[in-house]
Amino acid sequence: MKVNIKLIFIIPAILTLVVFSGCSKFLQKDLQNELTQQSFPTTAADALLATNATYEILRDWYYNSGGYPILDIMSDDARKGSNPDDQLSTVGPYDNFTFSPTQDGLDRWWNTLYVGVKRANVVIQFVPAITMDPARRTRYVAEAKFIRGLLYFDFVRAWGGVPLVTNVNPPQHLARATKDQVYALILEDLQFAADNLPLRSEYAANDLGRATKGAAQSLLARVYLFMHDYVNAEKYAMDVIHSNQYGLEPVYIDANGVNGNNGKESVLEVGAIQVENTEGGGAQYGNVQGVRGTPNRGWGFNRPTVDLRNSFETGDPRYKGTVINLGDTIDGVPIVGDGPTPDVTKDPQGNIIEIECYNRKVWVPGNNVATQFGFHRRLIRYADVLLMAAEALNENSKPADALPYLNQVRERARQGNNAILPDITTTIQSDLRDLIMVERRHELGMEGWRFWDLVRTGKAPAVLGPLGFVAGKHELLPVPQSEIDISQGTLVQNPNW
Amino acid sequence: MKQSYVHGKFIRFIRTVLIFLFFGAILASHAQVRTITGTVTASDTKESLPGATILVKGTATGSVTDIDGRYTIKVPNEKAVLVISYIGYTPQEVEIGKNSVVDVVLVMKKTTLDEVVVIGYGTVRKSDLSGSVGSVKSEDITKITALNPVQSLQGIVAGVQVTSSSGTPGESPIVRIRGVGTFNSSDPIYVVDGIIMDNIAYLNCGDITSMEVLKDASSTAMYGSRGANGVIMVTTKQGKVGQEKTAYSFTGEVGMQNLAKKINLLNGHDFAMISNEINPGSYNNIDAVPSTDWQKLIFRTAPIYNFQLSASGATKKSQFYISGGYFKQEGIIEKSKYERITLQMNNTYQVSPFVKIGNTLTFSPYTQQIAPDVTYAAYRAKPTLVPYYSDGSFASVPGVGNPLANLAYSNNFNKGLKAVGNLYAEISFLKAFALKSGFGVDADYNKSENFTPAFTVYNSDGTISQQQNLLSTLSKGTSEDLTWLWENTLTFQKELGKHSINALAGYTMQNTSSSAMGLLGSNILRDNANFWYINPNNIYDPNNNVNNINSFYDNVNISMNYSMISYLFRVNYVFNKRYILTATFRSDGSSKFSENNRFASFPSFAAAWNVSQENFMKNLKFINKLKVRASWGKLGNDKIPYNSRYAEVASNIITIFGGNGSPNSGASFGINGNPNLKWEVTTQTDIGLEAGLFNDRLTGEFDYYHKTTDDILILLSTPGYYGNGPDQKVWYNAASALNRGFEFTLTWRDKIGKLKYNVSVNGTTIHNEVLKIGGASGVDSVLVGGYLGNGIPVTRSKVGLPIGAFYGYQTNGIFQTQAELNAYPHMSQAGVGDLRFVDVNGDGIIDGRDRTYIGSPIPTFIFGCNVGFEFKGIDFSFNIQGQTGNKIFNAKQAVRPDPYNFESSVLNRWTGPGTSTTEPRASFGGYNYTPSDHFIQDGSFIRLRNIIVGYTLPANWSRKITMQSIRLYVKADNLYTLTRYTGYSPEIASGDVIGSGIDGGIYPITAVFSFGVNLNF
Repeated sequence: MKVNIKLIFIIPAILTLVVFSGCSKFLQKDLQNELTQQSFPTTAADALLATNATYEILRDWYYNSGGYPILDIMSDDARKGSNPDDQLSTVGPYDNFTFSPTQDGLDRWWNTLYVGVKRANVVIQFVPAITMDPARRTRYVAEAKFIRGLLYFDFVRAWGGVPLVTNVNPPQHLARATKDQVYALILEDLQFAADNLPLRSEYAANDLGRATKGAAQSLLARVYLFMHDYVNAEKYAMDVIHSNQYGLEPVYIDANGVNGNNGKESVLEVGAIQVENTEGGGAQYGNVQGVRGTPNRGWGFNRPTVDLRNSFETGDPRYKGTVINLGDTIDGVPIVGDGPTPDVTKDPQGNIIEIECYNRKVWVPGNNVATQFGFHRRLIRYADVLLMAAEALNENSKPADALPYLNQVRERARQGNNAILPDITTTIQSDLRDLIMVERRHELGMEGWRFWDLVRTGKAPAVLGPLGFVAGKHELLPVPQSEIDISQGTLVQNPNW
Repeated sequence: MKQSYVHGKFIRFIRTVLIFLFFGAILASHAQVRTITGTVTASDTKESLPGATILVKGTATGSVTDIDGRYTIKVPNEKAVLVISYIGYTPQEVEIGKNSVVDVVLVMKKTTLDEVVVIGYGTVRKSDLSGSVGSVKSEDITKITALNPVQSLQGIVAGVQVTSSSGTPGESPIVRIRGVGTFNSSDPIYVVDGIIMDNIAYLNCGDITSMEVLKDASSTAMYGSRGANGVIMVTTKQGKVGQEKTAYSFTGEVGMQNLAKKINLLNGHDFAMISNEINPGSYNNIDAVPSTDWQKLIFRTAPIYNFQLSASGATKKSQFYISGGYFKQEGIIEKSKYERITLQMNNTYQVSPFVKIGNTLTFSPYTQQIAPDVTYAAYRAKPTLVPYYSDGSFASVPGVGNPLANLAYSNNFNKGLKAVGNLYAEISFLKAFALKSGFGVDADYNKSENFTPAFTVYNSDGTISQQQNLLSTLSKGTSEDLTWLWENTLTFQKELGKHSINALAGYTMQNTSSSAMGLLGSNILRDNANFWYINPNNIYDPNNNVNNINSFYDNVNISMNYSMISYLFRVNYVFNKRYILTATFRSDGSSKFSENNRFASFPSFAAAWNVSQENFMKNLKFINKLKVRASWGKLGNDKIPYNSRYAEVASNIITIFGGNGSPNSGASFGINGNPNLKWEVTTQTDIGLEAGLFNDRLTGEFDYYHKTTDDILILLSTPGYYGNGPDQKVWYNAASALNRGFEFTLTWRDKIGKLKYNVSVNGTTIHNEVLKIGGASGVDSVLVGGYLGNGIPVTRSKVGLPIGAFYGYQTNGIFQTQAELNAYPHMSQAGVGDLRFVDVNGDGIIDGRDRTYIGSPIPTFIFGCNVGFEFKGIDFSFNIQGQTGNKIFNAKQAVRPDPYNFESSVLNRWTGPGTSTTEPRASFGGYNYTPSDHFIQDGSFIRLRNIIVGYTLPANWSRKITMQSIRLYVKADNLYTLTRYTGYSPEIASGDVIGSGIDGGIYPITAVFSFGVNLNF
């Protein structure tokens, strides 16, 4: 009975203690190893972390037009690539303009861009309130505004007007802004960036890759080209040129290659390391396009077209700098190619329609798949700035002023061989306009600009019509059906989709 | 003397130790005055009653009859009174007098309503039960050769749907009680000897004495916070009071598993023929191509073993049950298996007349090997490819990889230890009160290990195929989960004349904490298992990028924890054995919700009327029992991740800056949380009728249930501009759903001469409907889910449709001619010979807006039928089970990024006008593979789930070898399935309720033939 009496008292005693003391505390469980959005960013260190995070989105696989380089594939420069059946129904439809609002990749691209916008908004919204070095604080905000402008520029080119989010808590229902409203924000953000970012040379070597004044001005030039505002395009392109911060790599392949990583031609570059996943620092962009088969460097998407191969002027070294052919040896590695991919594909009439080849620009020397994840994608090259300057000057009826910049690009391509790529001399505006477009194709081929160049210059229906492009429809991508569904009708589809 | 005193003390000490070591029964009780023997028989059948209990009245001394109904018991003196009892029979008391042989004939009770049923925090006589509870006893639990005891409920208990969607060794089936009530986890909870948990795969079927399925609000309300999806009470075995002779039992079973059904795929010739139709010239001579049956290559016959040895018994003050079990299942796919040892120790100890203490303890180490997903590869691989080159090396299989190489290089293990234990003390006082306090622990320690050696599969031209692992990789993970539960209840039980009151109040606390850690290494020194360890050379260092060795796990080190506090009350009042009222109230607080929404209350009320007890029923002799009952109540659900309410910061972001690049840390807002989350609440009404006719030869139970769930916790896609990222979702309380239907169980039990037989049928109808989604708090009114392998969703849960309803284009034939194509609205990609999609909205164009409801994955009727015969020691039983009304989306057929093999239905394809109206022209991808009802198949089936023939040797034979009983049996599981579904099995389920019924390639369930023996001694 002794035991019983003890128990009779002990149990209720413990119970009473517990019930009336620890209850509310017991139900308060703190997060483990996770900050909440209320507690970040609050310090100078947080501000740096938040700013760094905005750049990461550019290395995200889906930032690259949803995963695959569809902007080249939709152009006359490239076909789907890989073997004929690989991703036939997911990527294939971009090759012949049979994609639909539910097409694979569109929703991922759309969503990923907004992740970047959100990260930029975190900096823009919260960093100004942090007590820290004011100059550094302004730079962080300018970096974030640069990224936000860059992302909205992708949006507006791909879809036109989109919901415009400028803080971290957008309302539940948000309709599409107009194209002009989106452009207005882009210009505002980029102008702030251009006014407040340091020059490239003002950054420490280990900070290269951050947004610079030159990058912001170059991007403004590009934006104004798309807006057909050639006066401003000229102004900003010339600002970059006159800044003396940039130059051309002597060797063309270095413009995209490892030797030119964060080099003088690099105006905006997405850093990556040779790690076979995105979380660890690798970039899928080069892996998706890397040589398929032997050597096994990737999946082999985005195959240069026969048309692009044949369009290069005789002896242009940029052909070899753009196309990897079977039988080539690059950095000591023989290119054998992929077994299931036909070396040559012909149509029923016997015409060659595809030759197995790969995108030279993403090549990274090394000995395994992971090396390809270290490709640094160039989002703005100085050569592009020169060509933008040439284009703007020509459009502003200063063709003679345009020629030096155009020929500067050709001169580098020539690489000392004066037998090829003679200087352009024409000053007839329309001829020069076409020549600059051709030059852009050869200089910037397979880098993702061709489709938008064709669209902005109005050449798309003529050039891409035979591939399936429909004027009035394919200038813009369809808004992802899933977004329209979720919005319960707030979002309206683009015309003719 | 001194020595004897010491000796006596020593003995007592040893005895105490042994009792606590659960071997108390080994000690024989002290010599008694007299030994009484006798037999117990039944008045109605005149047969002996094995397992009847004999107790010496007023003591704990007792015995149990053997297989022949014989017993032996020692009594102190002539005045002793024996109490003989047996379930379903009226207990009898016999004064011994001078007799040494006491034979007893027990008279069957008028009703068998007095079966005792386990309910939350107690037991209740079935006649006093006001709720809906289904029960399964141990014989039925061991009928199926299964790892997880819950499989024995399949087709046995009305209202319960158990779907074994995969034959992966160690995989747990999906359990649904009365439909799918929510969009998050619809799994019931399990209460094993008082401990609440999510899975009972660790338990040995043979250790379970009963499982009770609590279905309606009244019976589940005691688990209010988590009872919304139903509660399965599991009671493990215990020695019987008075059973002083230790009973030993051995079960051994060996079975062979085979693929129950192969999928009809094309052979090499037919595939080449179709390929040539699609891409002319693909194969030059279709008669000379190889024909590889990939399914045959990956499947094998595999053994399954199950052994168990147990002992149970009692001493005067204690009862015990101990058992050891061993279960091993090899998979029918190489490199898969499951192995488990279970040790079970249950004891109760009557410390004094007022105090009882006890424990249950299960200790279960397990090893699982998981095969890579090769069934899908075997399904897709072209039959015209060979598995090996002439030199014996693996041949490349473009697109899918060579499944045999995947198997050969796979080493994926999951090893762990599950331990569940519970200690309790119960104090009775003032005659009517009992205070019980129990502390339980549920712990799972798990280690995963996955090693892939470096390997390369070459193409036939010697080039490297995509199936390559350049450096060996090793991932190691550990996880630990620990839940403790402290439950305290005070019960009051009193009978006052015609009034009987049973009341209970309780307070419980529960805490769960878990953590996990993982590492990924590569370039391991040697391939063999002795080197499956990670050292610094194998870990990726971002600043010293040597060898390009990569990477971290996504989650290097994660941890989570949550807790719950509950207050519970219940009153059960019975008047005159006729009128029963039950009221239950539970209040729960969960740490998963923010302070304002933390606590919620869950009341329920029930009433029952034992009509057969009324005088006016006395004349209706053929009705021996009749009860009507009704219940109403609210139940809750908090099955969301512990951190759902928080808006997290993603702190694992790496940005690369500088030269050739070096990592810089980044952090930013991640996915938004929802601080307004609150409890999901289910309101359930149940009206039931129980009847026994013709002296219980015919028994039946009927229920109507109506369950609405509101504020359903649901993961919703948010608009892209929230910046949560692709495929990310956020929890909301934003939906309502309804489940209603009828349940019935009818059993006929009788005998003809020496042939005993029983036939039982049960069925459940389910009407499932979404009442609301999105609304003010949510943003997504058509919950999209069911993503196919290519990322395309095929379910939409819309108001008015079932949860997870399939969504896609409707087809109505094939375009036979160009003229027909031109005449109908069609997509630009459509051509002659392609599927004709219906212009549902009639706008003259076919686009996303024409997608519509094309079927439900939820069956409208599930049923089971159990038949048993017993004749002169031979027993024969079988179990049939099935469902109708559900559809399956054949996703493995619908996703074709590459040219894959076809199901043989392609042989009926359209090849010209009039050749087919259902099967489009052959193609390797594209338009015809747009999600449509073309891929929807009927998921109805009837399965002969189990058939057993056993023979119990005559008692005199077995006694010769000192056995009480010997039973030998053979059985077959999943012997035959009648279905129109073309996949491995029509049982396609998923834990994801909005992605259910989608067959994207599964590890097929198996047919098992086994032989076993039960020994009792």
